[in-house]
Parts: sequence; C-alpha cells; structure tokens
Amino acid sequence: MIRTGIATLAAWSALFVCSPAALAQSGPPASRLELGVGVRWIGVEPLGTRAATETTGAGGTSPLFSTTSELSAAAGIDGRVGVRLTRFLVAEVEGSYSKPELRIAVSADAEGAAPITATEAIQQFTIGGSAVWYVPVHQSPRFAPFAIGGGGYLRQLHASGTLVDTGSFYHAGGGMSTLLSSGGRWHSKGVGIRADVQAFIRSNGVAFDGGSKVSLATGASFFVRF
Amino acid sequence: MRRAFTALVIASLVLGHSSSAHAYLKFGVPIGGQQVTVKWAQTPVRYFVSDTGVPGVSAVDFQNAVGRAFATWQAVPTASITYQLAGVTSALPGSDDGSSVLGFRSRPDLDRVLASTSFLIDSTTGALIESDIFFNSAFQWSTAAAGETGRYDLESIALHEIGHFSGLGHSALGETEMISTGGRRVLSAEAVMFPIAFAPGSIAARTLKADDIAGISDLYPDGDFQTTDGSLSGTVTKDGQPLFGAHVVAFDPASGSMVASFTLNAQGQFSIGGLSPGPHVVRVEPLDDADIDSFFDSSHTVDIDFKVAFFDQVVAVPKGGDSGQIALKVVHK
Repeated sequence: MIRTGIATLAAWSALFVCSPAALAQSGPPASRLELGVGVRWIGVEPLGTRAATETTGAGGTSPLFSTTSELSAAAGIDGRVGVRLTRFLVAEVEGSYSKPELRIAVSADAEGAAPITATEAIQQFTIGGSAVWYVPVHQSPRFAPFAIGGGGYLRQLHASGTLVDTGSFYHAGGGMSTLLSSGGRWHSKGVGIRADVQAFIRSNGVAFDGGSKVSLATGASFFVRF
Repeated sequence: MRRAFTALVIASLVLGHSSSAHAYLKFGVPIGGQQVTVKWAQTPVRYFVSDTGVPGVSAVDFQNAVGRAFATWQAVPTASITYQLAGVTSALPGSDDGSSVLGFRSRPDLDRVLASTSFLIDSTTGALIESDIFFNSAFQWSTAAAGETGRYDLESIALHEIGHFSGLGHSALGETEMISTGGRRVLSAEAVMFPIAFAPGSIAARTLKADDIAGISDLYPDGDFQTTDGSLSGTVTKDGQPLFGAHVVAFDPASGSMVASFTLNAQGQFSIGGLSPGPHVVRVEPLDDADIDSFFDSSHTVDIDFKVAFFDQVVAVPKGGDSGQIALKVVHK
C-alpha cells in the first residue's frame, strides 16, 4: 500500500519539481516526529453570480437586482504533527483556523438602490491529513524540497453562531523546508522553517452553486523535529 | 357551545386597485385583545363548485380548472392543508350558509375586481367556518391550456383566490407602473399572492413561488418544516423612528428565491419565516407598487417616503431558528 502511495505521489510531484537530477543520498534528517505551527493564507474563492428575478406576464424573468459572491482571502493559523513513515515520506495530521469574509456585492437594483457589498465574518476550521514526499534530488543537507497532498474536513461557522456549514477540502502542491539548526533545544533533532504553495480545493461549505471551489493557498511555518 | 360569527369580506385580485386586506401573508383577527391567525382548523377543507358556466368556460371546465389550482396548493410538500371537492351546487358564492362555494357571479359594478374571496370566521377562535370565492363574469375567462388572448386565465386567478381561501393575505413581491387610464399594470411579480393580475392571456401565475410556499407552510406546517426552515427578523427605522409597513425582502443567493414580509407594529418589527437555512441578502423598500389598502386597512399609516436599501451585512438564517434581530435603517427619498 505504501509503495503504491509513493508511486502516485511521485507521479504528480513531477508537476512541481522540474529538476531532472539523479537520486541522491542526502535528504531530510532522519527524525521521527515533526511539530509545526505557522500561518496559512488561502486566496479568494468566487462563489458565483445570482440575480434576484421576478416573473413577467409572458413567463420570462425580469431582474430586480444582481449579486456576486465570494469568500475573501484570509490568513489564519495552522498546526501539524508529522510522523516519518519512510526515508522520504511523512504522514501529517493538520488543523487550521482562519476568518474569511463572505462578501455579496449587490448591484443593478431595478428601483435604484445604491450598490452595496454585504459582508459576514466566517470562522473556518479545518482538520485533515497530508502526505509529504521529500523529493530525492541533489540537495544540501539543510534544504529539502517536497511535494504535499492531502485533504480533510472543513467547518464554517457563520457570524451569528447559529449556522454551520460543513464540507471537505483537498490540497496539493509543493514547497521547501529548511533546517535552521540541528540538535540542541528541547531535546530536538533540529528546528527549521517550511514554506509551501498549494492548490486548495473546497467542496460544500459556504457555496451557492454547488460546485467545488479552487483557490491558491500558501503557508509558512516553524517546525521542531524530534 | 354558542359561537359568534363574523363575516370578513376580502376583495382580492384586481385590475389596478384593490380593497382592504391584512398584511404579511396571513390574515388575522383581534380576539380578546390579541391578534389571532385566521385559518382552517381541520382538513381536508371541503368546497363546492357552482354548476354555472360562462361563455368560453363550461361548468366542467370551471370545476377542472379550480381543481388544478387546489391541487397546486395541496402539493406543497411543507404544508399540510388538503382540500376536497364536496360536490356541484346551484348555490351562489357569497351566501353565509356554512358551505364553501366557488363560482361565477356577474358584478359589472366591480369593474376592476376579477375575483373575490369572503370568509365566515369563528370570532372566538379565528377558525374559518366558510370561505366563498366568486369570479366576476363581467370579464372574459379562459381555461385553455396555453391561455387565450384577451381572456383571463381562470386557473391563475383561482390559485390566487385559493391562497386567500386558505388564510393568506397579499404579497408585495411585484413591480408595477401606473397607466394613463388609472390603476397599475404589472411588470413582474414573484408571488401568486401579488394583488394585481397579469394581463389577459397570461398563464404565468399558475405556479407558486417561494413566497407563496413559505406562507402556506407557515400557516399549515407539515412534517419537519419548522425544524428545517428558519426565519429572519428585525426592525426598520427612518431617522431613528420605527417604520410601519416597510416591505422587507429576504433573498437567498443559493436558490435565487425571495420571501418577504412587512414591518407590522409600532416598533417597526418584522419577521420573515419559511426561509432556507443559509446566508441571505436583505432588501427593504416602500410599499409603492400596489395600493396600500391592498395590504393594510385605513387605520394604519404607511410611510412610503424612503429609498430602497440593502442591509450592509449578510444575514445567516439558521436551521429551525431565527437569525437574531437585525436593524435596518432607511433614509428619505
């Protein structure tokens, strides 16, 4: 099963790592456990356009006003725990919290109401898992490019606190981790930072047209390896 | 037990103007100092149809068209009301005999009234005892499947009247323009219960809209309607003063549906029920697309001197609950 998973990850990680370099012996430190906390930014998610219409005597429709909706970009915090499964493969459990804004721009009112953007703060929680594959290419001992993919459960709480939307999310992308120091504090084997860029795909949750939403996500975190 | 009866007559679907009715979808009567919703206490509600036709519409055509309209209301999955044809009668609608009768009557004096519904109400409980609908044979009618030029679609008008028959008032979800001969012309409407009819030939009002469905479901909730749908409530003020009779519309961007109500008391409060859970856009407008007396009796003063506006926040309607009070502020035109 693991071998199959590695093969799959290897196939799509080629999309993110363009180096044709030969396999190398160097790679991520042989630590067993990694704890990380950081910030994550998820880009804007368009939610579509919908007009409020009324029926005409001929059976057609007449627009009363128009709406265009989006879930705004937002930065949040995330944390993760990673366990090394093989030399190049790490399994992670991750969670995040962010507070995007639901924005509905209202315009073209048939009776001349001033355009407005109605807003609502959404608290978004995610919990999920990822597979991180450290790309076995020539690299310095301190820098390790990786491909990452995963998914999980998403919960969005509306401002009133009385309405909850749930859904799922998937993400895939790549990044680089850098060791700042090896060994030392907290009985660790090293501390470092990690950055990634991913496609973030959300299904359900706050959505008006039922389709999946794709946006850009990027994150940076501080980690400790044990 | 002795009961006192009160007759309440509603002139309903009209050409250009209408007579008094109450507001927000449901009729109410004051009983013991409290406003009580007027509705049928038991279903199926039995009705008779008149044995008299008019040119272009036979008695059988009439019975079938009315039957389709009743079936449309009865098919609302979130409402429990049912109707039953009790038979054909030679009696005319409008006589307080305890039987609900639908039929034609010639009322050329009511030159703008297509049809009208009258009630007999138990004034101790608000329960409907009888409800009659007359269709004005001074107009030309049709039951043709695709409508007929120059004739009013009987099924469409019956659908509106049966809404009243069931206890619903008028909806203001529609746009009109004044016409040179007096009265108004409907440009569009998003509720069968809008008080002014489409032009002759139109069959666009044979289908219930979200506002109608919310209204009948609110009156006769079925199954888990009250736990699956939510409501939105709040106040409307102008210059800090509560506004009576403001028309408040909740728009669901997920479905595109609109459900509306009015501010109905001196505090400017409104409540819109029967909403799908989820984010909503709220719009408030003056009651200027139909005569005010289509909605409120003359004892109420309705302020229409304010601009149409949207609430600047998205309002989340919870499942089986209320959004919490929102405060809408409007300004002079």
